[in-house]
Amino acid sequence: MKLSIAKNDLLRPLNRVIGAVERRNTLPVLGTVLFQLNQGLLELTTTDTEIELKDSVQVDADFDFEWTLPARKLFDILRSLPDDSTVNISLAETKATVQAGRAKFTLSMLSAADFPKTDSVGASTRFDIVQEDLKRLFSRVDFSMAQQDVRYYLNGLLLEIEGDVLAAVSTDGHRLSYAKHQLPAMVAEAKQVIIPNKGVRELIRLMDDPATSAQISLSDQHIQMRSGSLCFTSKLIDGKFPDYRRVMPLDNDRIGTVDRNALLAALNRVQILSNEKFNGVRLQFAGDQLSVQANNPEQEQAEDAVELNYSGEALEIGFNIRYIIDVLKVIQSETVEFKLGDSNASVLVLPPGVDDVKFVVMPIRL
Amino acid sequence: MRKIIHIDMDAFYASVEQRDHPELRGQPVVVGGRPNSRGVVAAASYEARQYGIRSAMPAAKAHQLCPHAIFVKANFETYRRVSATIQSIFQSVTPLVEPLSLDEAFLDVTDSLSERQTATELAADIRQQIKVQTELNASAGISYNKFLAKIASDINKPNGQFVITPERAQTVLDALPIGRFHGIGRTTEQKCHNAGIETGFDLRNKSLVQLQRLFGSSAQRFFDMARGIDHRPVRPHRERKSIGIENTFSKNLESHSAFVEALDQLSHQLIARCERQGKYGQTLTLKVRFGDFTTYTRQMRLRLPATAESLLDTGVQLLGKANPEQKPLRLIGLSISDLITFDQRDVQLNLRLE
Repeated sequence: MKLSIAKNDLLRPLNRVIGAVERRNTLPVLGTVLFQLNQGLLELTTTDTEIELKDSVQVDADFDFEWTLPARKLFDILRSLPDDSTVNISLAETKATVQAGRAKFTLSMLSAADFPKTDSVGASTRFDIVQEDLKRLFSRVDFSMAQQDVRYYLNGLLLEIEGDVLAAVSTDGHRLSYAKHQLPAMVAEAKQVIIPNKGVRELIRLMDDPATSAQISLSDQHIQMRSGSLCFTSKLIDGKFPDYRRVMPLDNDRIGTVDRNALLAALNRVQILSNEKFNGVRLQFAGDQLSVQANNPEQEQAEDAVELNYSGEALEIGFNIRYIIDVLKVIQSETVEFKLGDSNASVLVLPPGVDDVKFVVMPIRL
Repeated sequence: MRKIIHIDMDAFYASVEQRDHPELRGQPVVVGGRPNSRGVVAAASYEARQYGIRSAMPAAKAHQLCPHAIFVKANFETYRRVSATIQSIFQSVTPLVEPLSLDEAFLDVTDSLSERQTATELAADIRQQIKVQTELNASAGISYNKFLAKIASDINKPNGQFVITPERAQTVLDALPIGRFHGIGRTTEQKCHNAGIETGFDLRNKSLVQLQRLFGSSAQRFFDMARGIDHRPVRPHRERKSIGIENTFSKNLESHSAFVEALDQLSHQLIARCERQGKYGQTLTLKVRFGDFTTYTRQMRLRLPATAESLLDTGVQLLGKANPEQKPLRLIGLSISDLITFDQRDVQLNLRLE
C-alpha cells in the first residue's frame, strides 16, 4: 500500500497532534501516531491516555487502512525535509518506508489494534466560543496552576459555567487567579470541571486561529474541543476544586494604585539581587511612594520606588517577586490596584474598575 | 602517597543525649522514632547496641529487642551545633574536609603535616580536641585513600584509631568479611555468599571476568576494592543536590501491598536522613526498576514540611504513574531534591483553601 502526500500537508496536522506524545512512555504504543485512512480522509490520532488529539487531511489514496508510526521520529524526519518535498509512504506488515527524494527511512510499526481508544464523550453541556477568547481566558490564569502537587485537584484549571458566564480559576496554594468571559448565549446547565495542566497547555497551543469558533463539550469525565478538522479530548481531574469565592479577601481596605509598567520595570530591576530560591521582595506602601527592595544571601541589596496613590496606614509586606511579576504581566490595564489587609494577609491585585480578572497572592512572612 | 583521615563520632546522637542528660548515661538509649510508631532508629548508644539494636532499624523492632531501652526524640538543632564545632576543628587542620554527614568526615592531611608530625599523631590530636570541646568520643581511621581510611576507623571503635599502611592493607582487606566492604548492601552480600565469597580474600581471588558476570557494571569497583585501590579525591564543600535512599530486593516484589510496605519503610528512612542533614526537599522522585532492569522515575512537588506520611502518600501516587500495570519490581527508591534548610522552609504563607 502506497501513499503520496506533500510534506507540509502531513506536517501541519502532525504538528498539531504531537503535543500529546510524551517523550518517555511506559507503553510503547503511546509513542506512536495512529493513522486511519478512510475514503481519502487521513486522520491522525495521538494520546497519552489522558489527552487525545486528532486532526485530519484529505489525501489521494484508493485504499482504507490503519497503522501507527513512531510519532517524534516521523515529526523530526518531516521537519528535516525540504519544504517542497513529496513524501511517499509504503506500508508493509511491520515496517513502513518513508521516502522523499533520495532520502529513505524505514520505520517500525506497532499494531494499530493496540492503540488506546478514548471512550465516547457523551457530553451534557455544550457551548461555542471564539478561539481567541478561549485562549485569552486560559492564558490569564494558567501561570498559577499547581505543578505535580499532592493535592491533585490543583494540578489543573477550574472551568466554571454559570448562565452566560465562563470563568477560569487556578491556584497553587500560594496564589489564586480568576478570569471570566461573557458568553453570547446562556448555557442551560451550570457546570464545574477541572482540566489537567497538560490539557490546558495544549488547548492554548492549539488556539492558533483567532477568529475561528470552537465548540466545547463537557461531560463528567471529559472535555472536548472541536474546531475545523481538529478534535481535542482530555480527561478531567476527578476531584473537588476549592471554593475560590471564599479565598477572595473581602475586608482589605488599604487600597494602593500604581502604574503597572513602572512597577513591573522596578520589580524586574530589583529581582537581579533577590534570593534565587525564595525570590523575596519587600513592598512598602506609604504615602505617595511604593518602595520595593530585595536582597540576597550575599547581603547585596537593590531598591527602587514608584509613584503611589494610597490612602491607608503605611504597610510593609513581603512577596515572592515572581508571583507579583506574573500577575502584572497578564493584567492589561495601565494602572493596577492592590487591596491590602495586613503583612500576613492575602492581597487582591486587579485592574481598577473591572471585575473580569482578579488575583489573590499570599505574602512571605518577613 | 596521600594521607587521609576518616573521623567518625561514636554513637553520635545517643552520645550527645547522654552528655546532656546524665540520667541516660550507662543506659540503652535509642534516638529516633517512638517504640510504638513506624519510625526508625536514628542512633543507638553502645549499651543499646549490645541488644542488637542498629540505626535504620524500625523502632518497634528495637523495642522488641530491648524492652527497657530508653527512647529519646532526636534534637537535630543540638546535633547540628555540635557538628559545627567539630567541623571548625577539622577546618583548623586542613581546608580539604569532605563531610559525609553531621558526624563523619574525610580529611586530606597530606599537605598539612609538619616535619615531625605523623598523620597518626594528628588524628589523635583531632580526637583530643573534639573531646575537650564537645565532651564526646570520636574514632579515626588513617590510611592512603578514602576507602581504607573508612574501614580503618571502624577497627578500634569506639574511642580508638587504626592505621592501614600500604604494607598492612592487603592483610586487613583479605580478612575483612564481605559485608563490611563499602557499597555492599544486604542483597549484594547475599549474592557474594552464594558465589562463595565470604571475605576480601575470596573477592580478590575472583578474576575481573568472573566479577563482571556477578556484578555487571560494578565489577571494576569491586575488583579495585579487594586490592585497596581508590583514587577518589577528598572533595570539600560538596553541596548535596538531593537526598535519597533505595532498596534492591533479594526477591522481586509482586503485589501492591508489598510495594506500599517497601515505600513506607523508605519514607521513614528518608525522613530520618533529611533530619540528619537538616534539610528538606521540595520535589520527591520515585525510582522503580522492573525485573528486566528497565528503570523509570517519576516526580512530584511536595508540600512542606514533609513527613514520613506525606512522603508515603506522594510515593504511592507516583507508583501509580510509574507502574500502572503493577508489574513485579526489583528496586524501589525515593529521593528528594530542590533542597532547602530547615530555617528557610515555610516562609511563604499559604492560602486558606477549604
